[in-house]
Amino acid sequence: MSAEVLKYTREQIEALEIAPGAVHEDLEGFVPSLANDDELRNALEKAFDYRGDVTITTKAGKKIEAFIFNRHTGATLAESYVQYFEPNVNGKQKLGYAEIGRLEFTGKDRAAGKHWEDWVKAYNERKAKGEKNIALHPEM
Amino acid sequence: MAIPISQVWTVASYVWKQKLKGVKRYPTVLMLEPLFRCNLACAGCGKVQYPPHVLKRMLTPQECFDAVEECGVPMVAIPGGEPLLHPQIVDIVNGLVARKKYVYMCTNALELKKRLHEFTPSKYLTFSVHLDGQKEHHDFSVCREGGYDIAVEGIKEAVKRGFRVTPNSTFFDGTDPNSVRAHFDEMMAIGVEGIVLSPGYSYDKAPDQSHFMGRARVRKLFRAILSNRKKSWKFNMSPLFLEFLMGDRNYDCTPWGSPAYNIFGWQKPCYLLQDGYAETFKELMETTRWEEYGVGSGNPKCANCMVSCGYEPTAVLDGFLSLSGFWGMVKGTFSSYQNKHALKQLNEWDTHAHSQLVQIEKTAPALEETNA
Repeated sequence: MSAEVLKYTREQIEALEIAPGAVHEDLEGFVPSLANDDELRNALEKAFDYRGDVTITTKAGKKIEAFIFNRHTGATLAESYVQYFEPNVNGKQKLGYAEIGRLEFTGKDRAAGKHWEDWVKAYNERKAKGEKNIALHPEM
Repeated sequence: MAIPISQVWTVASYVWKQKLKGVKRYPTVLMLEPLFRCNLACAGCGKVQYPPHVLKRMLTPQECFDAVEECGVPMVAIPGGEPLLHPQIVDIVNGLVARKKYVYMCTNALELKKRLHEFTPSKYLTFSVHLDGQKEHHDFSVCREGGYDIAVEGIKEAVKRGFRVTPNSTFFDGTDPNSVRAHFDEMMAIGVEGIVLSPGYSYDKAPDQSHFMGRARVRKLFRAILSNRKKSWKFNMSPLFLEFLMGDRNYDCTPWGSPAYNIFGWQKPCYLLQDGYAETFKELMETTRWEEYGVGSGNPKCANCMVSCGYEPTAVLDGFLSLSGFWGMVKGTFSSYQNKHALKQLNEWDTHAHSQLVQIEKTAPALEETNA
């Protein structure tokens, strides 16, 4: 976060006609290397940004499939942790960075394929087929 | 300005109390998100991109009340997700009204008409109905033919039953200002209290990152929309914030002005950005690096944001805490903002120059109300 600050001047920002949005990596199925502290920290930062579940394998061998919604990064791995929700488990869970042995981006990216252009294309195709009451429906 | 005097007085006295107490940073409205589940699937939405097990989670009424008490705000907005899908939403709203909080209950109104009998009209309760312009624009924006008709039926019924109602519109690149002005006419004719509007913002988690206006384009669009106003139009917003959107005022963001609380905790730094979560409001206020956010920080994530949750608190504080701001608010309330140049721009507006919208069929039959 801090590294991004001061990328623009006020004048540049005020003159923007189109705003560049965030660029999301295609992470579905990704298994990052966790060979050192930096790789672990970077991988968990990506997991925090990911819009789907991940599977964590702890160093003790336990597998946790969860949605990571927060991370706290301290000076050492022992001071750093992720917070997550597990399906069918009440309440927020917490796991220290130091306990994490493997990370896999196993869940579906919930934003994939939901661009505005995807809707425009689908709408036009369905309209051309004579479909009525065209709508997108939530996945639940 | 359509906001009742009692609400203006409550907010003004709250702001002055904070000033007299020497509080440097304080919120004016809590964005309370009791769930993220929604019965619409708007393309590009950045608020509902979560796995199903997360979408099923909800705040309890007690968690909602605790959050409101913790931050001490006079106003609470309840966005989401679709709050009417929360099985205890009536308890949440009634509990907040009992605490004399001014509640803006946001809804897409697909369920509003059939749920209205569960709510009691009050000066503290406003239904803020998501309506992104005229029928064809709204239906296409929310990816649902017939959505507009259902929402407008809900609005009409709510107005008839004596509820405060404010249509709430978000505008993206390609918006036709002439259509927006016609939308204002239609809404005021229905009898809503006032209109709420905002430029879109590219949420980090949103699938779509390419249809958001930069600040220069936002100012051009809103100058065309909001200059040369009709007397019948009323806005449920600070006149100074509308002047900011038109480019008549320069404001910095007040990211702590509208903090967000949801199933993850207190969102850092604001309702729009998700840079992490705090367990308590105190932790949010004390551990967030506020200097890294807002237009003045140079943070690219804040570059296109001119959204009310960050800039309306700035306008409200300016209006209540400075003489020039107060005078501007009084003048703005009664001004029609005559502007020949803006009128010429409006008349010559070429929506298709940077629009990717397609025209949805105007005679779309109404859908059945959802039971999701």
